[in-house]
Amino acid sequence: MSDNHDNHDDHHDHHNPGFIQKYIFSTDHKTIGLQYGLTAMLFLLFGFYLMMVMRWSIAYPNEPLPAWMSWLFTEDWKAQWLTEGKLPGETYNMFGAMHGTIMVFLGIVPLGFGAFGNYVTPLQIGAPDMAFPKLNMVSYYLYLIGGIMMCGSFFMESGAAKSGWTNYPPLSFFADAQYPHQFWTGQTQWLMGLVMLISSSLLGSVNFITTIINLRAKGMTWMRLPFFVWAMLVTGFLLLLSFPPLEVAGIMQVVDRMFGSSFFQPSGLYHQQIGLADASGGGSPLLYQHLFWFLGHPEVYVLLLPAIACVAEIIPVNTRRPIWGYKSMVYGVLVLGFLSFIVWAHHMYMTGMGPAISTFFQTTTTLISIPSVILLTCLLISLWGGSIKFTPPMMWACAFLPMFGIGGLTGLPLAFNLVDLHLHDTYYVIGHFHYVVAPGILFGFFAGIHHWYPKITGRYTSRTLNQLHFWPSLILMNTLFFPMLIQGMAGFHRRWYNGGDAYLTTDPDSANVFGKTIAEYIDLNVMMSWSAWLLCVAQIPFIINIFVSLKMGKKVESDNPWDACSLEWATPTPPGHGNFLEEPVAYRGPYEYARPEVDEDFYAQWRKPVDKTEEG
Amino acid sequence: MEIPFVVEPRKDTGLNNSKIGIWLFLASEVMLFGGLFSGYIFLRIYADYPWPERTLPVLPGLINTFILIGSSVTVVFAWVSLKLGQWRKFQVYMAITIVCAALFMVLKGIEYNAKFAHQAIRLDDYTVVEGHAHPQGGSHDYHAPKKNFNISAESVQINLSRVDDAYYEVMGKQYADGGMVLASKLTLNDGDVFEKGTAISKELIDQAKVDYLAAAANNSEIDIELGREAWAALKPKFPGKRYYEAVEGSKTLSEVVSAYTKELKKQRKEDYQTTTPNLTFVPNTGSASITVNPYWGKLSNPKEGDKGTLKLKDETLISGVTADSSIALAIDGIDFRHTVMKAEEKGIDPAAAVANSWLLKDEKINKIWKKHELITSKLKVLLEEDDREPTENDIYRINWQEIAGLQETDIADLEAMDYHDILALYPGDIEGFAGPDHKKIHYPEVIVPREQVRFESVFSPRWNTYYATYFTITGLHGLHVIAGALVLAYYLFFGRKMFEQRPEWLANRVEVGGLFWHFVDLVWIFLFPILYLM
Amino acid sequence: MADSPEAIKKHIKLYTLIGAVLFVCTLLTVAVAKFEFLDFGQRGFDSVDAIIGLLIATFKATLVALIFMHLNHEKKMVYWLFGMGLFFAFCLMAIFAFAFSDPIEFQAFFGR
Repeated sequence: MSDNHDNHDDHHDHHNPGFIQKYIFSTDHKTIGLQYGLTAMLFLLFGFYLMMVMRWSIAYPNEPLPAWMSWLFTEDWKAQWLTEGKLPGETYNMFGAMHGTIMVFLGIVPLGFGAFGNYVTPLQIGAPDMAFPKLNMVSYYLYLIGGIMMCGSFFMESGAAKSGWTNYPPLSFFADAQYPHQFWTGQTQWLMGLVMLISSSLLGSVNFITTIINLRAKGMTWMRLPFFVWAMLVTGFLLLLSFPPLEVAGIMQVVDRMFGSSFFQPSGLYHQQIGLADASGGGSPLLYQHLFWFLGHPEVYVLLLPAIACVAEIIPVNTRRPIWGYKSMVYGVLVLGFLSFIVWAHHMYMTGMGPAISTFFQTTTTLISIPSVILLTCLLISLWGGSIKFTPPMMWACAFLPMFGIGGLTGLPLAFNLVDLHLHDTYYVIGHFHYVVAPGILFGFFAGIHHWYPKITGRYTSRTLNQLHFWPSLILMNTLFFPMLIQGMAGFHRRWYNGGDAYLTTDPDSANVFGKTIAEYIDLNVMMSWSAWLLCVAQIPFIINIFVSLKMGKKVESDNPWDACSLEWATPTPPGHGNFLEEPVAYRGPYEYARPEVDEDFYAQWRKPVDKTEEG
Repeated sequence: MEIPFVVEPRKDTGLNNSKIGIWLFLASEVMLFGGLFSGYIFLRIYADYPWPERTLPVLPGLINTFILIGSSVTVVFAWVSLKLGQWRKFQVYMAITIVCAALFMVLKGIEYNAKFAHQAIRLDDYTVVEGHAHPQGGSHDYHAPKKNFNISAESVQINLSRVDDAYYEVMGKQYADGGMVLASKLTLNDGDVFEKGTAISKELIDQAKVDYLAAAANNSEIDIELGREAWAALKPKFPGKRYYEAVEGSKTLSEVVSAYTKELKKQRKEDYQTTTPNLTFVPNTGSASITVNPYWGKLSNPKEGDKGTLKLKDETLISGVTADSSIALAIDGIDFRHTVMKAEEKGIDPAAAVANSWLLKDEKINKIWKKHELITSKLKVLLEEDDREPTENDIYRINWQEIAGLQETDIADLEAMDYHDILALYPGDIEGFAGPDHKKIHYPEVIVPREQVRFESVFSPRWNTYYATYFTITGLHGLHVIAGALVLAYYLFFGRKMFEQRPEWLANRVEVGGLFWHFVDLVWIFLFPILYLM
Repeated sequence: MADSPEAIKKHIKLYTLIGAVLFVCTLLTVAVAKFEFLDFGQRGFDSVDAIIGLLIATFKATLVALIFMHLNHEKKMVYWLFGMGLFFAFCLMAIFAFAFSDPIEFQAFFGR
C-alpha cells in the first residue's frame, strides 16, 4: 500500500506547474499568503480612499468635493449620489458602512490571519505546507469572491450597503427595501458577501488549527512554539467558533430581505417614508445584535492577535534577548481567547437588554483587560536591558506598543455601563478603536512586512524610505485620532455626515445649548481631515519601498539575515515548494538569544546542540 | 517534503489530519446550529404573539426521523464493511444511505409544498384565519390571481430613474390594453418630441430614461463645477473664515457662496438641460383596470370604491379607484388567541372580543364556533375530573380536523355526544398527511375584503417568526443533508480505484464523511421534537 | 486505533441495537406529546413537556455521538476540540434565554 502511495506522489512532484497553477490557483501556503497580503492591501487602500472622501464631508460640509477626490466617480454616479458635488447623508452612510466593512473584514483580517498566518505559521512549526492545501486555496477564492460582491455593489442601482458596518436591523431592513429585486441590492450583496467571507474564514481556521496541532516538526513541543504560532492557534479558534453565529445572523437577514420574514423586525415597525413595514413582526433587533457581537468581539482579537504576534517575534530578534515571560504570554493569550467569547454584550449597553446581563458583561469585560495588559507588559519588559537595534521592523514594533496602549486604555471607560451611556456612539468610541486598529494593529503589520520581507524576496527594504514612511505616519496618526477622543467626550456623534454642522450654533440663547459645545470643537474636524489626507501621502514611500526593494534592495547575506532563532529562517531564501531542504528538528525554544553555550549571541532552534546533555 | 499524517495518525496526538479537521468543522457546525437554536429560544421566550404550538403535521417528521436514523446505521455498516474489506457490502449499505437521503429530501419537499399552498390572514382585529385562497372575483380558473391588488387606474406615473423592466413586462400589457397614452407633450434634449396621446411603450420609456439620466449627469457636472468655482473665488476673500462664520453682516460664508453660485448658475443657464424625472400616462377613455401582485406595492385606500393610489416598489404611482381586492378563502383553521391577547392588553373581556369579531358575523363560521364552544365546555367538564383545564389552544383555536370532521354533524347531535365520540369523527393523521386536503373536503368559504386584512401570507418564512425559524433551520439542515449525500455518493461511485490502491485511506475518508452524516442526524434528533412536538 | 477487524465485527451487533433504541425513543417522544395519559404537567405543551422531550432527544444524541461517532473511545484532543464548540454553544443559548432578564423582576423568564 505504501509503495503505491509513494509512487503516486513522486509523479506529482516532477510535474512542473505552469504560471496559472503556480501563481493563480496555487496550493502553496506561501503563494496563498502573498495573494492574501496583496489583495488585502489593495482593499485597505480602497477603504482609506472612502474614508478620505468622508473626511471632506466632515471638515467642509458645504464645499463640493475637490476634483482629486471625485475622479473615481463616473458622471452618472455623481448625478445619482452627490448633491451639487457634496456628499449627502445617504452616500456618506454608504461610504461609512463600506469603509468599516472593508477595513475589518477585507483588509485587516485577511492581512493578519490570511497573509502572515499563511506565510509564516507552517515555516515556524517546520511543516512542508498547510494540512489541507486545496482547502487553503478555496478559502482565498471565497474571500476574493466575497470582497468583490461587497465592493461591486457600489455600481448597482441601489448603491452599496449603507447601514453601518454592523448592519443593524431594522435600519438595514428598510435600507434598499424599496428596490424590486432584493437580491441585486447593496444590502443583500453585503450579506451574501459576508457569508462567503465567513465560509472562507471557517475553512481557513480549520486548516490552521489542524496544521498547528498535527504538522509540528520533530521536537517542536507545545512550549517550544513561537508565540506567533500560539497567537495564530487562538485566532483560529476564535474564528472557528465565533463566526458561525454571525453566519446565522447573515442568513437570517437574507431570509428577512428575500422571503420577507421578521427575525429582526418587531411588531408594528414603522418608517417615516415607507410607512408600516410589510412584515409580520414578532422578531427583535436585539437578537441580531447578540448574534452579531458574538462574532464582533472575538473579531477584535482576531484583528489584534496577529499584530501582537508579529511584534512578539520582532522584539526578541532586535533586542537580542529572550522574550520576557514567554509562558505568561502563552497562558495570557489562551485566557484572552477564552474570555473574548463572553464579553460581547458590552457593545450593547444602550439596547435595553436586561440589567442582569449588563452586569455580567461589565464584569467579564473588565476581566479581559488583565490578559491584554499581561501581553503588552511582557513585550514592554522585553525591551529592558536589551541591546536594541532600530531596524525598520523594530521601529514599527516600538511604535506599536504605546499606540496600542493608548487604544487599549481608552477602551476601559467604555467597559462600564454608566460611562458608556455618555460615550456610546460618539467619536470617543471611534477614536478608541481606531487607535487600536490603525496605529496599533497596522503598525504591527508594517513591522511584520519589513521583518519577513528579506525571507520572501531575498532583499532588505530601504531604510531611508522607511524613515520617510514611519515618522509622518506616527505623527499624523496621532493628530488624526487623538482629537476624536476630545470631540467624543464633548458629545460628537459618530454618524454625523456633516461633522456637526446641523447642530452648530454660537448663540447662548439658542434652544440648542449643545450647539455651543459643537462650535468650540468643530475646527478639530479640519485638523483631523488634513491629517488623514497627509497620512495617505505618507503611505507613498511604503508602496514605493515594497516594489522598488524587490529589484534594488540590499541583498541578504544569508538565509538568516536578522540572526533570528525560529525555524522560518532555516529555510532557503525564498523558500521553495515544500519549504525545508531537510526535515527540520527543533532542539529548543524559539527565543534563545545570548546563551553562553554558543559563540554567537543566538542559539537557533534548529542548530544541533553543542552540549550533548541538552538533547531531547 | 510531503505533507505527513494524511492517513496514518501522528504519534502524540493519535489522530490524522482529516480526523482533526472534521472534528473542528463539526465544532463550528455546533456553533452554527447553536446560533440558530439560540435564535429560536430567544424568539419563542420573548414572542409578543401566541406561539403556534404543535401545528406541523407530525407524521412526515416522524417518518423522516426514522429515515435519518436508519441511514445513520447503514453508514456505520458501510464503514465497517470497508474496514473488513468487503466492497460489495459497502456499496449496498452506502447506496441505502443515499436513497435514504433522497427520500428525506422528497418528504421535506412535500411538506414545504403543502405549506406554500396554504394561506393565512391576520385580520384587522387580530383574528387569524387559515385556508386555501380561491381566485378573485369568483373565477374558476385555478391559475387566476388569488389575492392581487386591483385598481381602476385614472393615471399612471412612472419614475424614470427607478422604473423596473421586470415589472413593466407584467404591467406593460395591462397598460396597453387599458389604452394608456402620454398625458402631456414630452420634448427630449436630443430633439425628439412625443406628442400628447402617444401610446405607452417600452421604447418610449427607455428613450426618456436615457435622456433623463444624461441630462441629470450633465446638470450635476455643471453644478459641481460652479460650486467649486464659487468657493475658489470667495474663500481667499475672507481668509481664516470658516463656512459657518459670519462674513458679510450676519451672512455666513456658506450663505455668501451659495448666493454667488446662484449668480453663476444664471449665467450658465443655457448649458443646463431640462430634466423630466416622471412620465404620466392616462387611459384613452375613463379608466383602465390594473391588477398587481400585492407584494409589489402598497395600496393607500384598500377599501373597494375608495379613491386612492397604488405605489409600486419601482415608484410607479397608479392613481384611481380601488377595485375588488378581496381574498376568497376556504377556511380550514381559525385562531382567536391573538385577539384574546390584544383584548387582555387593553383590558377588554376576551369573550366579548371574540364574540364581536368580524369573522363571527359570517353565518357558517359562527356555526362552527358555536360547535367549538360546545366541545370546549365538554372538554372542560372532562378535564375537571383530573384537576386540569383546557389550554388557550383548546379554547380559542379551531383546527382543520374539527372543521372537516364536524361538517356533516348538527349541533343538536353533538350535544348528545360524548367528547371522545366527537374526537372519533375527526379525520386521522394519514388523511391529512401534510396538512388539510382541499380536494377531498370542501371547507366553508369566506370573502375577506382587503380593508379587513392586517397581514397576509402563505405559510412561508413571511408568516411569523416560528415559520421563519422552521424554514431557515430545516432549510439549512436540508442543505447539509444534500452536501453529505453528495460526499458519500462520491465515495460510492468513485471510490473503487482508491479501494484497490489504498483501502485504508478510503476507510478513513468514509469515516470522516460518516462523522458528518451522523452529525446531520444528530441535529435532526433535536429538530424533530423542537419544531414538531413543542 | 482500536478499530481492528476483530473488534469491529464485535461492534456490529451493538450498532444494530443502538439503531433499534433510537427508533423506540423516537416513538416515545411522539407518544409523550400525543397521548393524554402521558402528558405530564399541565394539559397541552408546557415546560415539563419541554424538559421530557429534550431529555429524550439528548439521550438519543448522546448515543449517536458515543457509539456511531466513536466518542466512547476517542483521543483526548477530540474531546477538547468538540467540547469547546458545545460549551460556547451552550453559553450562547443560556445568555439568549436571559437576554431581557432583570434581577428585580425575574418573571420575564420564569413567569411564562
